Amino acid sequence: MNIILVLIPLSLVLLAAALWAFFWGVDNAQFDDLETPALIPLSDDRSKPDPPEKPV
Amino acid sequence: MNALPCFHCGEPVPAGANLHADVGGAVHAVCCIGCRAAAEWIAALGLDDYYRLRDTPASRAPARVDFGLWDKPQLQRMYVREEGDGRAEVCLLVQGLHCAACSWLIERALRDVAGLEDVSINVAARRVRLVWRPAQVALSALLDRLGRLGYDPQPLNAESLNSLQRQETRTALKRLVVAGLGMMQSMMYAVALYVGVFEGMDVATRDFFRWLGVLVSTPVVLYAGAPFFIGAWRELRMRRFGMDTPVALAVALVFVASIVETARRGSYVYFDSASMFVFLLLSARYVEMFTRRRAADVVDALARLQPATAQRLNAAGLIETVGTHELMAGDVAVVEIGATVPADGELLSASCDVDESLLTGESASRRRHAGERLIAGSILRSGPVQMRVTNVGAQTVLSSIVRLVTRGLQQRPRWTRFGDALAARFVAGVLLLAALTVLAWLWIDPARAFPAALAVLVVSCPCAFALAIPTATTRATAVLARCGVLAVKPDAIEKLLDITHVVFDKTGTLTTRQMELVGVETFGGMTETQCLRVAASLEQSNPHPIGMAIRAAASGLGGIAAADNPCSVSGAGVTGDVDGRAYRLGRATFAMSEDQAADDDGVFLANADAAVARFKFRESLRGDARATIDALRSDGLMLKVLSGDDVLQVAAVAQRLGIAAFRARVTPERKLATLQRLRETGAVVAMVGDGVNDAPVLAAADVAIALGDGAQLAQASADIVLAGDRLSALLDARRVARLTMRVMRQNIYWAAAYNFLCIPLAALGWVPPWLAAIGMSTSSLLVVLNSLRIRAPAAASGAAEAGSAAAGTGRAVMEATA
Repeated sequence: MNIILVLIPLSLVLLAAALWAFFWGVDNAQFDDLETPALIPLSDDRSKPDPPEKPV
Repeated sequence: MNALPCFHCGEPVPAGANLHADVGGAVHAVCCIGCRAAAEWIAALGLDDYYRLRDTPASRAPARVDFGLWDKPQLQRMYVREEGDGRAEVCLLVQGLHCAACSWLIERALRDVAGLEDVSINVAARRVRLVWRPAQVALSALLDRLGRLGYDPQPLNAESLNSLQRQETRTALKRLVVAGLGMMQSMMYAVALYVGVFEGMDVATRDFFRWLGVLVSTPVVLYAGAPFFIGAWRELRMRRFGMDTPVALAVALVFVASIVETARRGSYVYFDSASMFVFLLLSARYVEMFTRRRAADVVDALARLQPATAQRLNAAGLIETVGTHELMAGDVAVVEIGATVPADGELLSASCDVDESLLTGESASRRRHAGERLIAGSILRSGPVQMRVTNVGAQTVLSSIVRLVTRGLQQRPRWTRFGDALAARFVAGVLLLAALTVLAWLWIDPARAFPAALAVLVVSCPCAFALAIPTATTRATAVLARCGVLAVKPDAIEKLLDITHVVFDKTGTLTTRQMELVGVETFGGMTETQCLRVAASLEQSNPHPIGMAIRAAASGLGGIAAADNPCSVSGAGVTGDVDGRAYRLGRATFAMSEDQAADDDGVFLANADAAVARFKFRESLRGDARATIDALRSDGLMLKVLSGDDVLQVAAVAQRLGIAAFRARVTPERKLATLQRLRETGAVVAMVGDGVNDAPVLAAADVAIALGDGAQLAQASADIVLAGDRLSALLDARRVARLTMRVMRQNIYWAAAYNFLCIPLAALGWVPPWLAAIGMSTSSLLVVLNSLRIRAPAAASGAAEAGSAAAGTGRAVMEATA
């Protein structure tokens, strides 16, 4: 059962890491809008004609 | 009318519009020049995938707007934030931003613009944030691009950039996740401890797990639970006993007692209960916050009706453009034709036509004479005119309506307040009982006093009380939103069940704003077809409902050319030459000379000598009006129509719908009186309308229901808004309301039964800790699961999918609340 003494602190470290990552994500606007980014990759790789009003 | 839907916006293409857009190699019919321009521009940018990705049709593209005003420094000061490094930031509220495909489109169309650094789009809030370099590209150019896509961008105050709201949302999300993760961890350790009780666990391991519990539940209580402690402190200072005080007290007691137990190696700890309590309450608050946020957006949209700039006549008699906020009472403002009136005031010019549809819901413009009142937010149809400003800013009619809506939104539903009060009293009772338990056990057996008191605190489930009503109401709000029903005042849902009478406004409620031609009567000389051709020629470019109805009727004839020398007289009719002959089309008094105009019914076509034909029209009923009326009647409700229109028109509509009780030519005052008389007889009245001239009437009804596609302002005084075009959403609302009330009652009965059964047992020391924790969790879970049973009626969700506008709005709300 001594393995618990290693595994539980390890899980706590992971928990802290997950929380830190989540806080970072929230502060960097990753959770402000949850539906828009989902569509962006859908049509990224399709070739399409060049926009005629291409700016400089 | 059986017209094609417009390829871009989905609205029916008016017959005879004959406009087509070339998108993706195919030709599609569109309804107006704006939509054609939008569709072709989208295709030209290679963005026609938008039409494949979107789930809601676009808004009808507005006519081109000049955004040049937005480059003025005095305006930019208010709306734009300078970043200091040559960049500027603006936040836009974009009307017509419906679905994720819209945001994809906007991003694609804008991102190639040189000088634009960042575009971020939030569909749920309909906000677009732009960061750009003013030296390289003007703000007006960016707004113009959005305008050409068919959207209506409105810059928001610079304050909204450093949004307090955004900070609040983010903090709430963090707290929720901390509570959730902490709860899972402490439950895991709790399971180990409970198993240890049965399987045997040495004291050192047990204490190790207990300290782990302290470790993970401390952030939950101190960080995630902070709002409860802050709230309790505030309530304490204001000496008001709310929901936060007992919750904070219970959490603190359980948490501190568990730490004390851990430290002195006592028998039981309850870190899992404390964490779960915090997590469940936070979830309820989080959902509630989003519901209110979404409702606040409605207010935002209302506030946008006031223009940002105004034209003022200065001392030298020159016209200068100023921000609307700079206008003061007594100033003379100049309003151009087509512009929005910036403030309330008196007309100085002789007369003008104004479109007050935003305030009254009536599309016909009204004539105002010198000295009469102009209202901020209305649109000038003839002009330019000068006006003396009397009320500005917060004193305008528009602002007071906005304030009313805001106040309505801040009210908490009666049921929620009731639930809170119930829970607060309950928690206070439990605390008292726990104290009594301690005293009693100290008398009998001091060793068992502390565990028994703790068991009382844990087994009692204020969650079940605290959650019983909010979970049901928030779930109902979300479900209703999905079928296109927005509950502006949540109390209304409950009242919807008690109504005995439903009073309908006619125009825009039972009928659409469109007319249909039902008959042509000729007076000799010309055939019906000839008359129709002439009429259609005259009406070729008239956006009035009569013109559209004539064009629709003549669409089958083909090859109709516009009349020569066309001239439109507002409120009366049109004149023009067809095949070399002069014709007049309009009301009897307009088309013919006074002595001939005896019969006032219908629209007359006359040549220079005499009338040649009479056209008869009727209003088109809403598609689902008949079914809705029938269903309401079979529910045993009394139905009545009150309208300001002619007897003939009202009678025709009432008869087609089978409503016996109707009154025509009713002024708002008479409507109000009728409603009050009805209520005095003990009737509970729901009023369905669409205009703010109905506002006092709507306010006097027990339940005010507005149709969302009518005047936007009607929503101001409404308790419930039916978004989209479906009148039958009213039926869904009643069904969901019935279910919600049932679920709420079940929740409360369950919470009461559970608590009254378990608390005495715990006080007697018969409930072991593991059972107390399981009982508490199960009772909360049952309440939540029971609330999830509230669903949209099957037929309604199908209909909502079909009625795309309703579904679109609903979806946006769902996304905001989910």
